[in-house]
Amino acid sequence: MVTELNESNFDSFVESNSFVLIDCWAPWCGPCRRMGPVIEELASDLAGKVAVAKLNTDENQGIAIRFQINAIPTLLVFKDKVLVDTLVGLRPKEDIISALGIQ
Amino acid sequence: MDIDILVIGSGPAGVQAAIHASRKKAAVAVAGKPSSSAMYGTGIENYFGTGPRRGEDILSEGIRQAEAAGAVFLGSNVISASGTGPFVFGMDDGSEIRALSVIIATGISRRKLGIPGEKEFFGKGVSYCAVCDCNFYKGKRAVVVGNDSEAAVSAALMTSYAAETHWVTWNTEASDHLVRRARDAGAVMHGSKPVAIEGAGKTESIVLEDGTRIITDGVFIELGARSSADIAMDLGVMPQTDDSIKVDGNCFTGVAGVFACGDVTGKPWQVAKAVGQGCTAGMSAADYVRGLK
Repeated sequence: MVTELNESNFDSFVESNSFVLIDCWAPWCGPCRRMGPVIEELASDLAGKVAVAKLNTDENQGIAIRFQINAIPTLLVFKDKVLVDTLVGLRPKEDIISALGIQ
Repeated sequence: MDIDILVIGSGPAGVQAAIHASRKKAAVAVAGKPSSSAMYGTGIENYFGTGPRRGEDILSEGIRQAEAAGAVFLGSNVISASGTGPFVFGMDDGSEIRALSVIIATGISRRKLGIPGEKEFFGKGVSYCAVCDCNFYKGKRAVVVGNDSEAAVSAALMTSYAAETHWVTWNTEASDHLVRRARDAGAVMHGSKPVAIEGAGKTESIVLEDGTRIITDGVFIELGARSSADIAMDLGVMPQTDDSIKVDGNCFTGVAGVFACGDVTGKPWQVAKAVGQGCTAGMSAADYVRGLK
């Protein structure tokens, strides 16, 4: 399951899960829409290991500014509440899994 | 202009598709510039029955054959696509084309400039999608880089967001119509090639061959015409993450009336495979159109 994040639940989601992947996207962004199905698959493949969410940067510009996002799609990776990686651009599922360091 | 089939791309796949569809009596128009094909400017030596030859020579002969069969070569690029049949295409010369079927034969496009700083600052001010990222540059400075229609459209778009928009175009191929649109929107044009993107931790400037340095927050690299992936999505086809378009044995994409052939469908990126698929796609589209009438 991919959780929809916004200004009100973003921090609590990051704080209550030890391993978090957030897909930052916007509706008019073609590469973001192609990333969508990949994120859905990751959420089911990594269920129990990684909490997967998505954030609409158009509706939540404050969070986009906070994490200095200026290109989408961008994936934010948090471990124990700390931002450990920022992956910019559309990429296949295997690349994301390897960037997450999951065997 | 109302036609049966619009072929997008005038490389070997598109030209072969146009030959076969036209010979099946469909009214065919072909978008794109032959000089943009990967075949143009290279030598061919692994194509059946053909000795070492210049790609552009084979391509021009193919275009003559397609024209003789009735296909019309537009020489213009698609900048927008919509509809579910008839499909409506906006062209870079300002015209509109309505077609019952479409064959995507756009090949694979080069998206990277290959200059210092480009890779380093990707996501830190460097973007390959103005449409995606324009919203992050409200009130900031932006530079759009590229010579063809996608750069012109992006430059015009950025003027609605950025406080200052520059368009670096050193060998402009975009139509006069689009150049005028970008300039009228307020984009400042620069006619020199970019050589480096510089900054400390994030993009701060772009340097041109003539020594000009443009101070900027963002560099939007928009080479070529509208990408096959964007056109496919406009038409309801979802490309793979590597931008390729999946087709079945009839070169059918899964969306009624939409076919694809050549390098855009994935490897091998070979002329022999491109023309084989072009033949299939041309016949499939012609059969589809005949079925509608």
